[in-house]
Amino acid sequence: MRQTWALLIDAYRDLNSRKLFWIVLILSTVVAASFFAVGIDDRGASIFGHVFFPDYNTHFVKRSEFYKEVFVGYGIDTWLSLVAIALALISTASIFPEFLAGGAVDLYLSKPISRIRLFLTKYFCGLLFVAMQIFCFCLTCFLVIGIRGGEWLPGVFLAVPIVLLFYSYLFAICVFWGVWTRSTIAALLLTILCWFVIFGVHFAEVAMLRMQYSDEVRSKQLEERITRESAILKQVDKQLAEQPDPVATQPTTRAAMAFWKTLFPGPDNENVDPRVRLRERTYDQLTADQEERLQYTGTIVFWHKAFYLVMTALPKTSETVDLLTRVLIKNTGMEGSDATRQSDDMSDDNRVQLEDQAQQMFIKELNSRSVSWVAGTSVGFEVVVMMIAAWMFCRRDY
Amino acid sequence: MTTATDGHAISLQNVTKIYRRKIHALRGINMQVKRGEIFGLLGPNGAGKSTLVKIMMSVVRPTRAEGLILNRPIGHKPTLRQIGYLPENHRFPKYLTGRQVIEFFAALCGVDRSTRRKRAGELLELVGMTNWGNAKISQYSKGMLQRIGLAQAMGADPELIVLDEPTDGVDPAGRRDIRKALLELRARGKTIFINSHLLSELESVCDRVAILVQGAVARQGTIDELTVAKQCFLFEVSPVENLPGLVNAALGGVLNLQVPPPFRGKLADATWCELDGVFLRLGRTDPAAVQDVLDALRRQGLVIRRMHLVRPSLEELFFEAVANTALGAGAA
Repeated sequence: MRQTWALLIDAYRDLNSRKLFWIVLILSTVVAASFFAVGIDDRGASIFGHVFFPDYNTHFVKRSEFYKEVFVGYGIDTWLSLVAIALALISTASIFPEFLAGGAVDLYLSKPISRIRLFLTKYFCGLLFVAMQIFCFCLTCFLVIGIRGGEWLPGVFLAVPIVLLFYSYLFAICVFWGVWTRSTIAALLLTILCWFVIFGVHFAEVAMLRMQYSDEVRSKQLEERITRESAILKQVDKQLAEQPDPVATQPTTRAAMAFWKTLFPGPDNENVDPRVRLRERTYDQLTADQEERLQYTGTIVFWHKAFYLVMTALPKTSETVDLLTRVLIKNTGMEGSDATRQSDDMSDDNRVQLEDQAQQMFIKELNSRSVSWVAGTSVGFEVVVMMIAAWMFCRRDY
Repeated sequence: MTTATDGHAISLQNVTKIYRRKIHALRGINMQVKRGEIFGLLGPNGAGKSTLVKIMMSVVRPTRAEGLILNRPIGHKPTLRQIGYLPENHRFPKYLTGRQVIEFFAALCGVDRSTRRKRAGELLELVGMTNWGNAKISQYSKGMLQRIGLAQAMGADPELIVLDEPTDGVDPAGRRDIRKALLELRARGKTIFINSHLLSELESVCDRVAILVQGAVARQGTIDELTVAKQCFLFEVSPVENLPGLVNAALGGVLNLQVPPPFRGKLADATWCELDGVFLRLGRTDPAAVQDVLDALRRQGLVIRRMHLVRPSLEELFFEAVANTALGAGAA
């Protein structure tokens, strides 16, 4: 324990000596504190007292809700899950390459402390850096929401473990590259590359899922039309069987039929009612469309499954941050405006309705993904990466 | 298989290291270091000295290694608590002060806080860094870093201290201080293992040395033991005219004067002798045993201007070991 404690104190001294650490910490606090400058009243939303959005006022949204939205939308989605994480990566990428430099690592390895303990302690020291950053940010946000919004929400501190979990995926990758290459620049660039790949896979999977649901809704619509057409055809057949041919008896109808025939020509010897032919053609077209759509659906389902499998094996960065939003909404009553927007956007237009329906199914599916799937598989990936990195660290000669 | 090492701080057998299945860095090293002595490890660049030291310190994993360090197998982690280490080209954290470096690495050895603090002060005084103890490492010169490194190695009051190039970059005054510190540590019963290429440094402090060439121990023993075969008495004689003839007559005609100088020969008792200019070398180390030769030279009318026992320097021994190994390798 004495050794671990010494390493932790050393990590603190190391962080304390890094200017970037303080810059990022101050920046995080300033960003969170800047929410103080943002206000909302019955005149509208304002920055430094100057009203910018008169329509967006306390009649439209409650003051506390407004600050929660700012926290979730800008604080978490933009700052914590992107800018702060990128800055944290830059600050901590050098921890392992510097530790493994010749003349430095020898001093540690020659002490009566196991390599794996050294490795893990260094790793957790890196996480400590980000934990402090997130905590400062959340504390400031907690005060802003409390003082300005009038509601004290301890739930904002959930951002600390969740964003830390998200960061730990990337830091594990960074550690892996750092141990392998022993170069800060290489570790940082390769981690950012991996981040892009993870984001790319996530984007592709989500896009495929959206397409799948959109396609599903359209298929349903097509199926309904086919059923309707089939029913109409049956009804027409029934009517024709029960009644004499109106074409032969009524001259006006005969003229109309001639016109129909020019539009929908059939075999000369065929004496089929052109209206039936029209219905049949529509029906045939719809069934052909359905076949084509089935093939298309098959392709989408295949690729979605492929991307889903790949994503299951990879860390789920975006979903992990989304967990926070989900948890905050569920536990703290921080309902965002999404639900309202969805219902407001409902239009009479059929296409828009379909898209809306598909969108709702898509959101439902995303929200149904369990915490164990999102965090569990990601942590699994992290553990595997860390095990490989630890193995390299422990087996290597320095 | 290990052997009993009573009286030995280090006893290595068959230490072998092969990198990537093709580079033989160490080829079965056998080496013994007694408790309480200063042991020097010499060798040219690439001889495997640092690899051997790193194997001892668990920094490098041996391909094969038998033997004990402080009566424990090589790589036994808890034993490292008893071993202080100063690596070559060490890089201490720049954000620490000299005092913090000593305390931090002592803490990694499990030393409690009050003992660390007390010992840090003592060690700073020992290495002459009391006034700089609270300054950041980044402000230190190379010599000061070496001194702090030495103090750091002693932070946990180890039984064995392994120093890799301890005087590297240190000025003459600093070297003298380090030598003094090493001798003081030996007086306190510590065993010191030094890896250095500064032969004169080692010669002045080491009790025993080993010369490592191409991954194998070429020579090992006390400096006297290693140089005994090359020790001789040197006589400076005059006059210069017809000197070879007169000396040869005095020695009973054993010198071969038909070849270009130096003229070499062997006396009746197989003692080697050599005449190079006005210098006559005789392969005897006992002053009583050279009296008859002295008498014979005088009988020939030669004046003995100077005579003394010559011991080859460690440097000469080193170069000879390296040359012999190279020749052996060439012949092979």
